[in-house]
Amino acid sequence: MNRETSEIVSPRVPAASNRDISEMSQSRVLAAYLGDIRFELVKMLRVPAFMIPTLLFPVMFFLLFGVLLGSARGNGQQAVMAFAGLGVFGAIAPGLFGFGVSLAFEREQGMLIFRQAIPMPSGSYLLARMAMAMLFVGVVSLLMLLLAVFLAHIPLTLSQCVTWWLINVFGVLPFCAIGLFVGSMVSGQAAPAIINLIYIPMAFLSGLWVPLQVLGSVVPALQKLATIWPSYHLLQLSLNALDQGSMGETSTHVYALAGFTLVFFTLAVRRLGGSGIRLFGSPGAAPGFPLRRAVTIGFFWLAVAFIVTGVLNGNAPRAATNTAATSKDATETGKDASAATGTNDSGAPVGVAAPDRAVVADFDNGSANTSYGIGFAAHKDGDHCSTASQLDQEIVADGADHSHGALQIKGNVVGDVQYPFCGTAFLPNGSAGTDFDKQPLMDFSRKQTLSFFARGDGQNYTVVLLTPRQGPPAMFQFTPGTDWQEVRVPLNEFAADDMKRVRLIAFGTSKPGTFDFEIDNVRIE
Amino acid sequence: MSQASLARLDDTHKKFGQIAALDGFSLSVNRGELLALLGPNGAGKSTAISILLGLQNPDSGKAELFGEQPHSIYARRRIGVMMQEINLSPVMHGREFIAQTASYYARPYETDEVIKRLGIEKIADRPYGKLSGGQKRQVQFGMAIVGRPELLFLDEPTVGLDLQAREALWQVLRDLIHEGCSIVLTTHHLEEAEALANRVAVMMHGKLVKSGTVDEIRAHVSRKSILCRTSVPMDTMRNWPEVLEVSEDSGRIQIVTRDAESALRLLLAADARVHDIEVLRAGLAEAFAEITAANSNGSTE
Repeated sequence: MNRETSEIVSPRVPAASNRDISEMSQSRVLAAYLGDIRFELVKMLRVPAFMIPTLLFPVMFFLLFGVLLGSARGNGQQAVMAFAGLGVFGAIAPGLFGFGVSLAFEREQGMLIFRQAIPMPSGSYLLARMAMAMLFVGVVSLLMLLLAVFLAHIPLTLSQCVTWWLINVFGVLPFCAIGLFVGSMVSGQAAPAIINLIYIPMAFLSGLWVPLQVLGSVVPALQKLATIWPSYHLLQLSLNALDQGSMGETSTHVYALAGFTLVFFTLAVRRLGGSGIRLFGSPGAAPGFPLRRAVTIGFFWLAVAFIVTGVLNGNAPRAATNTAATSKDATETGKDASAATGTNDSGAPVGVAAPDRAVVADFDNGSANTSYGIGFAAHKDGDHCSTASQLDQEIVADGADHSHGALQIKGNVVGDVQYPFCGTAFLPNGSAGTDFDKQPLMDFSRKQTLSFFARGDGQNYTVVLLTPRQGPPAMFQFTPGTDWQEVRVPLNEFAADDMKRVRLIAFGTSKPGTFDFEIDNVRIE
Repeated sequence: MSQASLARLDDTHKKFGQIAALDGFSLSVNRGELLALLGPNGAGKSTAISILLGLQNPDSGKAELFGEQPHSIYARRRIGVMMQEINLSPVMHGREFIAQTASYYARPYETDEVIKRLGIEKIADRPYGKLSGGQKRQVQFGMAIVGRPELLFLDEPTVGLDLQAREALWQVLRDLIHEGCSIVLTTHHLEEAEALANRVAVMMHGKLVKSGTVDEIRAHVSRKSILCRTSVPMDTMRNWPEVLEVSEDSGRIQIVTRDAESALRLLLAADARVHDIEVLRAGLAEAFAEITAANSNGSTE
């Protein structure tokens, strides 16, 4: 602000030159903010007793549970779960401890009051602390990422790595706010104990260490109540980024986390304000500005609503793709839909066009081979159908329409993985000896219907059409009875982008427990 | 607003629960003066300073710093502050604290210049936690002055300093005043106020009870001390009119009286061999004691 504007803006200031004396250029103010960040960084680096354990705990745990134990059991799923869970674990500590404990100490030591008396730029202390917490989480997450890729060999795309890292780095903010709140309440001596009282149960109860399904199988209420923890919501975002099964909608979690941040931050500011500490330079002198107050109160209750929504809806199953497909894509018919929306486009190239012939497999020659691709095989990969589950497929006589053979799939699903699914699958454009995620794709966008005959024990079963796209695949549920019955899956109701890139088509079940069903006459036309 | 007044409290009231910390207190700080704000514990000094620094708001009355609300950052960029009982991070160095503080001001001194001026080159690059109490105060003093403040608030600046360091700090204060800086000093060290202050304000029960130059304050006090060697019994002297106190220290008698002239006449009449006579005017300490005693009597009625 130069002399002229200062006269115009504040005509009541007695001498216009009054403020000019203490006017600082924007670059100098910016330098002050950056200087405070640098100051906090140096301070942190000089206290290795705080830095090293906080840095190493999650990394060490991941090394133990993800890399060593995970690979020893040959269970890639466990490594990924540990990676997601401990990543969140690593994002909590810098927020809670970095803010809570040090704030409590500095409050007691009079530093917060002193900072207000000197012309420290508005909010600079908070900003510097926040930057530190984010930097800290950035480093922890980077270390874990390196271990995950090079030691645990978790298959991650670059965009998954970046998304996961960013989720953690920004995910520290709600914990900063909670730390701030705790630090505004308790003494420096008590703060570490109180924060551990929050930290450890929260990590455990939100499923960072032990999957919630396991927790829920012991005490079901714990699984239900997990949504009250911010770490739960962060974990779901993280799982979703890693293409693992997650609950609830992304937006629900993001809003809930924003809600936690805002609510605790507001409470902390209020609490500190009560003892004369202003985190922002703005005057607390004029409480009579009603609009600002109303806006603050409005935001506060909005944030509370976000949290409540998150708590209530945070563990809802994600909308299945077929319902999404029918609601979205059914209304947008035709080829222009993909160009118009482009939402589901994974960026992967389109698969090879499907052959003209309709028959895929009739199982009449005693084998599970298909007329193209790699034939039906029991889909027991450990990731979805865990080693504890049982799964068998065999060709049986007495097929549909009195044909010679049919494919029977039966077994017992043990739900000890995040997303159980056991069944049989074929790779329409499969090539032997290729890693699964490099298997070539097939373009079914010109086909209308997948049809087959099924009979079984009356339970629900699912057809899954897997593509390279992240997130829940295209799915279709069917319920075979004791007699053969035709099932028709309308392919044109799924997202067109998905149908252009089908890697695998599977028939099976997610429901824990025994199952038994047969399929015959699989056709795609 | 008068141009000379840098900071002003006007009829401010502040209550904490039932206790009135400020009860219609007014004060203004003029350019180029060192104002010593004195008062017994609980007189309201720290509340008055807090309000001037924008750390608290008065319940009623007006507070101004450079014509602004005291918490305005524009006003705060023109002041320097040294508080008591501040624990800075033990791992950071004096130089880093001073440089960080400098970055908040529009036209600060060079950090090196301040370090040199205070003669703390040797300790400037040591962790703060390893410094003695006095050395810590010196670093805090450096932080207070590095912003080239027009007005400096100092709370007990020389506690814990050795004599030499205290003299050095006093010299810096005198230089700063000479350069046009104003200083508000709160201290229990009346000797310090006596050595430095142009003006003294005495507070009690949240009110200003006396204000003036050190000499004016001292002159206000009628009591004087007569020092001598005499054979007159102490009990006899205690019965003389207006004598407040008689004591002995290694053979020398001290008579504290409100009427030194009468006491001298009586002394000379009673003892022809009295010698080593010295008459001392009251110091600021005695004046302060008298003022506070008078006012606390007044207020209990």
